[in-house]
Amino acid sequence: MNLKTLNARHIWLISLHWSRHAVRSGAGLVYLMIALVFGLSVAHAVIMPVEQLMSVQKEQTGHTDREAIHNTIIAVGRPIAQFVLGLKSMTEVSEQAAAQEQPPNVGDPRMATPEAADPARFDPWTDFLLEDRPALLSAIFLILAFGMPFAISFLAFNQVTGDIQSHGLRYLLLRTERGNIYFGRFLGTAAFSTAVMAVIIVTITLYLGLRVRIYPAAALAGWAVHGFLALAILMLPYIAVCSILSASVDSPFLSLVLAKLTIGGVLLLAVLGGLKWESMRLIKYALPWGWQNHLLHPEPSHWLGAGLACLLYTGVFLMLGYARFETRDL
Amino acid sequence: MAEGKRPGGLTALAVINFVLCGFSVLSMAGMVAFFALMDMMPTDQMDARQKAQIDALQDMGTPILVLITGLNLLSGLLLLTSGIGYLKQKRVLGRMLGNTYAVLTIVASIVSGMMFRTELGGGFNIGTIIGLIYPILTLVLVNTTFKDDLTN
Repeated sequence: MNLKTLNARHIWLISLHWSRHAVRSGAGLVYLMIALVFGLSVAHAVIMPVEQLMSVQKEQTGHTDREAIHNTIIAVGRPIAQFVLGLKSMTEVSEQAAAQEQPPNVGDPRMATPEAADPARFDPWTDFLLEDRPALLSAIFLILAFGMPFAISFLAFNQVTGDIQSHGLRYLLLRTERGNIYFGRFLGTAAFSTAVMAVIIVTITLYLGLRVRIYPAAALAGWAVHGFLALAILMLPYIAVCSILSASVDSPFLSLVLAKLTIGGVLLLAVLGGLKWESMRLIKYALPWGWQNHLLHPEPSHWLGAGLACLLYTGVFLMLGYARFETRDL
Repeated sequence: MAEGKRPGGLTALAVINFVLCGFSVLSMAGMVAFFALMDMMPTDQMDARQKAQIDALQDMGTPILVLITGLNLLSGLLLLTSGIGYLKQKRVLGRMLGNTYAVLTIVASIVSGMMFRTELGGGFNIGTIIGLIYPILTLVLVNTTFKDDLTN
């Protein structure tokens, strides 16, 4: 591994070329379609029921009561958010929903716990996401944070593997070093992913601000910027995982399959293995799955820590991939 | 440009065209079947929203039904032919028909948004934006990124 051969100007040129030609190579186009359709479909699924509720309310009362709509969103979203954030299990969420539907039974010993006695007792994280920040945007961010890592491999799987297979890199290596190609293409992929994320979030935020109009513009814009940064940083470790795989195998298709298996497999193994052995749950920390929701935490120490951890994961994965790429036969 | 040098993105665009063409055929078949069986459909078990949708469809009238089916058919044909054009890197079959598909779909989305009742997906919502993604991408890509590849 020779980091002295790295040249900032070469890396900049390669990354610029790579991000500009991502669509032309096909991977960028497929990712663009998948990411836009997925991102906007998630927004559609989250926003549509609210729009229907507003329309029913307008038909019945002649006007839209934004406060009532906001309260309904919070009431429906709270148990889901608590489950997604890992604050409550599915059983606890169901019990809480049942308790809210039935009148409280003071003789029940379970009612002794403060949470059971008062189902409306909330945790600060859920409160922050649903009440302090625009709840619809929070819900969309949580789903995107879960779903986008699966989509990113469609963009990042072929950073160098296609050129390794066709031996095209040999011609490029006459003019620059391996490290510049490797890091330049990583940066180009990250820039393209960030641009796509920006398009998705700007579209959703504009729609919420101009069409749904239940949140103040400043709150929407501020939270959109935070969500965008969180999602853009979250993509980096996953792109870096794809960089390792892309630098390690000779076939783009194999690289894509391995990227999918790695990103999805870590989560699947942690969830399914965790059902049998508790310690298996720790596998999810091999990738940011275990703590990525902390990027949307109210405490700056949590979201800053999560952001730094993302960068640390990215650095480790990138260096592992670079070590492999630097020494392999091209 | 020689056919052998077709960029991967153009091939991807053609494949997406064929997939969307398949969806278009399926939706057309579904729509024809729906209209054929609409009168036999029991509405007593449906909720108010579903009933409103059925009522809106029944009120739509035959000319609009023919227009929708015709537009779907045309859009499917344009997707298929322009997809073949992308693969063969043809200027008329690829670029021109691709542009025609994109413009037709954008206009149809805007018109249907204005014409149809909300129960039938009329009005403007995020679904409308999703429907516009591919036509806009097609319009941009065949006139910029792949402009010099569609010259045969």
